[in-house]
Amino acid sequence: MFCCTLNSDLLAEDVSFQRDVMPILFRAGCNSGTCHGAARGKDGFHLSLFGYDPKGDYFRICEEIIGRRINIARPEQSLLLRKATGRVPHTGGKLFDSESDYYTTLLRWIEEGGLNDSGPVPEVVGLKLSTDSFVFNQAGEQNSIRVTAIASDGSQRDVTTLARFHSNNASVVDIREDGRLTATGPGDSNVFARFNRFTAGAEVIVLPSAENFTWPDPPVVNYIDELVFNRLQKLRIAPSPLCDDETFLRRITLDLAGRSPTVDEYHAFVSDQSVKKREQKIDSLLADDAFADLWTALWAEQLRIMGGNYAPVGTHIKAADTFYEWIRTQLRNDRPLNDFVSEMVSASGSNLINGPANTYTMLVHGPRFEPKAFAADFSQVFLGIQIQCAECHNHPFDRWTMDDYYSFVSFFSGIKRKPGVEPREQRIYYDTTMPPARHLVDGRPMPARTLGANEPLDYTGDPRQQLADWLTSADNEMFSRNLANRIWAQLLGRGVIEPVDDVRVSNPPTNEPLLRALSEHLVDSDFNLRSLVREICNSRVYQLSSQPNDSNRLDTRQFSHAKLRRLRADVLMDSVVTVTGVPRNFSGFPTGTRAIDVYPRLSGDTGGPQFGDQFFETFGRSSRATVCACETRTEPTLSQTLHLAVGDTLRSRLGAGGLINELLASSKTPETMIGELFVLALNRKPTPEELSSMQALLATAENDHSVYEDILWGLLNSTEFAFNH
Amino acid sequence: MIHYFISLTALFLIQFSLVANAQEEADKDKTSSPNFIDDIKPILRAHCLKCHGDDKQEAGLNLQSYGSLLRGGSSGKVVEAGRSSQSVLFQAITNPDDDARMPPNSPTIAKSKIEQIRKWIDSGLLETASSKSMVKARNLTFKPSVSTDGKLDGPPAMPTKLPAIDFLKLTRPFPVLSMDASPTAPLIAVADQDQVRFFHTKTEQEIGRVAFPEGIPQVIRFSRDGVVLMVAGGRPVESGRVVLFDVNSGKRLAEVGDEIDAVLAADLSPNQQFVALGGSGRVVKVYSMTEGTLLYKLTKHTDWITAIAFSPDGKKLATADRAGGLHLWDPESGGILLNLEEHKAAVRALDWRNDSRLLASAGEDGRIVWWDTNDGFPAINKSNAHPPQRVQGTYGTIPNGVLAARFDAKGRLVTSGRDRMVRVWDVDGGEIEKFKLEKGIPLSVILPISANDPVSGDSAGNVIFWKK
Repeated sequence: MFCCTLNSDLLAEDVSFQRDVMPILFRAGCNSGTCHGAARGKDGFHLSLFGYDPKGDYFRICEEIIGRRINIARPEQSLLLRKATGRVPHTGGKLFDSESDYYTTLLRWIEEGGLNDSGPVPEVVGLKLSTDSFVFNQAGEQNSIRVTAIASDGSQRDVTTLARFHSNNASVVDIREDGRLTATGPGDSNVFARFNRFTAGAEVIVLPSAENFTWPDPPVVNYIDELVFNRLQKLRIAPSPLCDDETFLRRITLDLAGRSPTVDEYHAFVSDQSVKKREQKIDSLLADDAFADLWTALWAEQLRIMGGNYAPVGTHIKAADTFYEWIRTQLRNDRPLNDFVSEMVSASGSNLINGPANTYTMLVHGPRFEPKAFAADFSQVFLGIQIQCAECHNHPFDRWTMDDYYSFVSFFSGIKRKPGVEPREQRIYYDTTMPPARHLVDGRPMPARTLGANEPLDYTGDPRQQLADWLTSADNEMFSRNLANRIWAQLLGRGVIEPVDDVRVSNPPTNEPLLRALSEHLVDSDFNLRSLVREICNSRVYQLSSQPNDSNRLDTRQFSHAKLRRLRADVLMDSVVTVTGVPRNFSGFPTGTRAIDVYPRLSGDTGGPQFGDQFFETFGRSSRATVCACETRTEPTLSQTLHLAVGDTLRSRLGAGGLINELLASSKTPETMIGELFVLALNRKPTPEELSSMQALLATAENDHSVYEDILWGLLNSTEFAFNH
Repeated sequence: MIHYFISLTALFLIQFSLVANAQEEADKDKTSSPNFIDDIKPILRAHCLKCHGDDKQEAGLNLQSYGSLLRGGSSGKVVEAGRSSQSVLFQAITNPDDDARMPPNSPTIAKSKIEQIRKWIDSGLLETASSKSMVKARNLTFKPSVSTDGKLDGPPAMPTKLPAIDFLKLTRPFPVLSMDASPTAPLIAVADQDQVRFFHTKTEQEIGRVAFPEGIPQVIRFSRDGVVLMVAGGRPVESGRVVLFDVNSGKRLAEVGDEIDAVLAADLSPNQQFVALGGSGRVVKVYSMTEGTLLYKLTKHTDWITAIAFSPDGKKLATADRAGGLHLWDPESGGILLNLEEHKAAVRALDWRNDSRLLASAGEDGRIVWWDTNDGFPAINKSNAHPPQRVQGTYGTIPNGVLAARFDAKGRLVTSGRDRMVRVWDVDGGEIEKFKLEKGIPLSVILPISANDPVSGDSAGNVIFWKK
């Protein structure tokens, strides 16, 4: 049979429940979380959230109460239609009218008998947008987008009228439900279309006025500068100038050594005449153990390391120490990050002897090992993705399905612990007799399968080595991009994808070429942490001033100027100690231990959030209650200000170290002494205005010990001290 | 398949006595009932006595001796003879919630032990091997009597004087949501869109229709004398009503209710004094037919009302809901008599055996229960009564709901389910006949008078007169 036109061909086709009806329920919002997609449904009618269970939905619509929701004798009297068109009372209101295509399709389906699909329906395997990028010259301009679904049989279909749209930033671009975009203000953002279980996005740039904009054409050091400046030029944003040497020294020392620079370091750097002195400084800091210690602290936070004196669940201090020191050793020895992670993933054995085995007791604390919770935390830490949504329904804004989730959980379904020879010891082993996880919807066993793969692994026994190999291979972009993004975020104060542990289709990088290049650098350098850090720190982008200009003042995403970052709690404490010369003691650690080397050691058990120290709690160090990057808080609070102003952290240290006495004994001029205090606390010389106002304080009380103490107190209480700028 | 052949006269004389045991698959358990001393104590000793024994009595519960176990704990009895599903002890050890299950912080007690405890409770809490079961022997003897259905003054009512009505043009046949057979005449009434159709059970031909412009007839019931036909239904989320028709002339005798949604369940009391109705409003409303007023509302249900049935003697009213709730009421006062807890999902059907003692309930949980309504005990309890066919390689729950259940005058029960089967159950709950539907789901079913085989109506709109 040869048909004349495509259209009549389509009309002749029967309406399919899965292909035609389900998308309408999705588009109209029937199966959304606030309506019938809620866990218990709404007003007595339940649909699976975003339609993850088509068979169940068919049953509930057509067979649960026969003759009510659809009426095959009088199709137009079906409750489904009358509710949707608002002809009978409906909590969700009127969703479409009876002239719409939605209504026509549903009606036709019911007229044809309201049948379920008899065979398998070609699955949607991807989504294509008509454009993947829009550039608007000014607010108010419009354009539109079309969405095409690609099916497993290769066929394509325009689903613009069935997709749901959203914009990531309505103050840049608005998108209507028919796919029409309107530019609302300068900036860059993304719009997304969702259909079936897929989300596809397009970049949107709304340019600021070209008037008064000239590209400064700054020099570039490496590819990072090229890629960031490319993007900035495209967006008509001028980067700030390079920061001065004083600022650079403070920034790089805080970032790589986890403390502020000393007076000696300051003088040595400022007086250095070498043109390569910044590069050399970076190299010397990278070679220092303090760098490894700082990164050990960051990993320990992520992996939720804490130890208790009473820890029946394997999280005893001794175990935590074993883990912590193992991580420190790997980082001091510059072990490739992929090997480092791989060893943790495949680790077994005693938690007191084999450090990395603690991954299976620390990441999820608890009396029982929970494969589901572990799989969720595992993917969040090592891949930066959150798959836990897919426990109950396909991820609404990402590619992950319930199949992906449960097959991934199966990697850990055999993990067990047994008591060791002493009460503190737990042995991690893999019980190969455990069945794989079962799918929530139909209870199907889901053998272990790596994320994104189509076929389960071929394995007998412990599948974790295969998991580790897949995870840390150079081909697994999710892994290398996650590491690169986290390293970038640590140094620039914001990830190319932010939050760093919520990578998903609908949260794209603000500069894709940059993230790709960073990730490739990491892979090419054999996952060498120091190599990537060196590259980033040497870039002009890292060394830009934090002082904004007119064109980049509003930019927070494109690295046009250095971000003001409040110091991490531990770095702040170590900086206070560096400045005052008086060490701080931490409970459970020897005197003189740096804050950066402290993890929570508790006298009791390790349940609940633990900061390990009051200061850490006030200044937002991670409580390690979850693996979320958001556990580390850097927003300023009133209690922080009060703590520094009147708390004992500063007060008791100012006099105790004898700093001021020494200074006064040196019989220098007040001007010199004020200058030295500035260098000590803020690593810079005072400005003439600052100097004269300070001198005024000393006019009547030259050599007054308390006035100098007040000046130092004031400097340490300044936001300049508490921030990396 | 075993065919029972019992002559009609023999059936009328059957005297049948049954030691009722509530447990499913009763026969299997009869052989060896576990007892406390030999079988149960060792299990309790291994798992429970540490916290609930002579040394310590958490929650005031001591399981060390038979006597103290029966006494229960601070919140009452922990075992209910014959009903494991309602026994706190059994619920505690089988709770799917890890945090709530007994014993605490331990894996579930071995399946075989749980099974022992279940058998022990269901078979009547024997103390020793020679003890007597605490489940009392029930005499479910049933003597069918034709006379209960009213003395007829003349010939049975047949719809011989119906006015002609327009046949609606339908896209396809309407699912046969409900049907009923006249208790006095060879007549069945069947639901259709906006209409009710009458069939002669001898000729199996349609013999007339009455219009039901209210919409979809959800429930159809003949009065006990077969003279009046009650039709309840309406239009979903629009309107609902109960209408009484004169069977002979098709005249509308009365209209009851002014609902905002279709009436999903209704019944007419045997003396035709009351109509009870309910639906998505979760309230059962009882109307007086003599005064045409709302007498009272029953507000105990927590979900849509799905089934309502007056007992044939008019002394009890049974109502059920979509969450599995099932209650017995006094229809005169509206006072609650008993809560019948057994169903875990929507109850789809209720029907009384015509001696008013047994009530059958059936639901989406695949269960059929024959309740002894004297004390609310599930005299026969069949789970998986309509078991689903599982093809190799299929996973997940396959619905096995029972959608309809009706007694006939001889005390047999006919049911239909989502397994596309119509099944006939004997007085003792044994299956005596089954019929397989090729297409659609059987939604309504009936055993007409003086017929041995059932009639079913299904989702494809067919009315099928089954033949053995």
